[in-house]
Amino acid sequence: MEREKLEGLLIDFIDGRLTESERKEVKELLSTDENVRVLYEQLKQVTTAMDRSAQIAPSARLERGFQQMLHEEEAQQNAPKQKQVFFSPVVLRAAAAVLLVAMGIAIGNYVKEHNTQKRQLAEIAKENARLKDDMLAMMGDQNSASQRMKGVNVALTYERADDELVDALVKTLNEDKNSNVRLAALEALSKFHQEPQVRKALIAALSKQDDPVVQIALIQLMVKMKEKGVLKDLNRIIEDQDAIQPVKDEAHSGILKLS
Amino acid sequence: MTDEQIMEAVRNGDLQQASLLFDRYNKRLFNFLARMTMDRELAEDLTQNVFLRMIRYRSSYKPGHKFQSWIYQVARNVFTDHYQVSKKKKADHMDIEKVGEWVADDNDGHTIDEQEKLLHRSMQLLSEEQRELLILTRFQHMKYEEVADMMETTVANIKVKVHRAISKLREHYFQLEKI
Repeated sequence: MEREKLEGLLIDFIDGRLTESERKEVKELLSTDENVRVLYEQLKQVTTAMDRSAQIAPSARLERGFQQMLHEEEAQQNAPKQKQVFFSPVVLRAAAAVLLVAMGIAIGNYVKEHNTQKRQLAEIAKENARLKDDMLAMMGDQNSASQRMKGVNVALTYERADDELVDALVKTLNEDKNSNVRLAALEALSKFHQEPQVRKALIAALSKQDDPVVQIALIQLMVKMKEKGVLKDLNRIIEDQDAIQPVKDEAHSGILKLS
Repeated sequence: MTDEQIMEAVRNGDLQQASLLFDRYNKRLFNFLARMTMDRELAEDLTQNVFLRMIRYRSSYKPGHKFQSWIYQVARNVFTDHYQVSKKKKADHMDIEKVGEWVADDNDGHTIDEQEKLLHRSMQLLSEEQRELLILTRFQHMKYEEVADMMETTVANIKVKVHRAISKLREHYFQLEKI
């Protein structure tokens, strides 16, 4: 019998995989052929050694490593996935590209326009500052009443008053040599009478003014402002020996209206 | 629950179930890899890698397929990849003289007798394929059908190869015994 076939037969005999007739054949060979018997014994020895070979146990490191790995994988699985922006059809990708270019142009135009507007606003602010300087310079021109009047008239065009403008107008109201200029300043200030610092300056002006025209205009303004804080000043005007009758009458009228 | 049912749960994202498969297979896979590498520490690392791949590539498991065949195939790939990556050849990573001592401090307290040392030394003289076949069929007691399924070949082919491997082992064993 061919060696390989014989060995195969003997291994199957050891493993109990043979049919009854094959088993008989092997037993016959074993009892008659010493070489077959030795071969069988050797095959039996190695197969038994393999079958009996002890299993070995892994160290605790393997279990620990596995648990840690499992924990990490679970954490990764539960972590929120980042959104992937990807358009699969080519048409969508092309549309996205066109949209991006269009957005780029639009943003570019906006920035350009925004910059232009910003520049224009800066120019206007610069111009306003220049006009204000001119106006204040005119109001301070001691040599020309008409220049000071022009300055106050410019102030009349302002919608809001800043401290600098209020100070200049109050100074004009109290100190200008020309009564028309003082009246114009009063008119300009009356425009901003809602603002606390203007109101305060107007009340203070009443005790300082001795120009009847300005006094009457101021009393009328105080009545309009419903400013009761000036009652004392109005009484003083009534009792003032130097005050002319029309002013005293206006003061009387004011006291009646404010009381 | 069968291995296959558990693996399907893992495949569907229930990763905690992987612990059950670890409990059932870690010792067997470790023994397979330890006998293949003759290096316990390396075998532990490779076993860990097998379970990592089981989880990461869980979608590659085809429902209904025998889990044991699949996980052993993963283990074989891990083993092959390790030596391909490290560019080591069989002769480099096996120290014949030390073979047999590798299980001497075995956790189960078994003492390694001379016969077993001789067996391990003989095993190392086999080709990798023959060694693998004997580890699976004799040391791990896998059926020829199971190995054939794993290696995608016929039972007859496996049987012939196993017989040749045992014959070869016998030769080496009794030659070494004479030394």
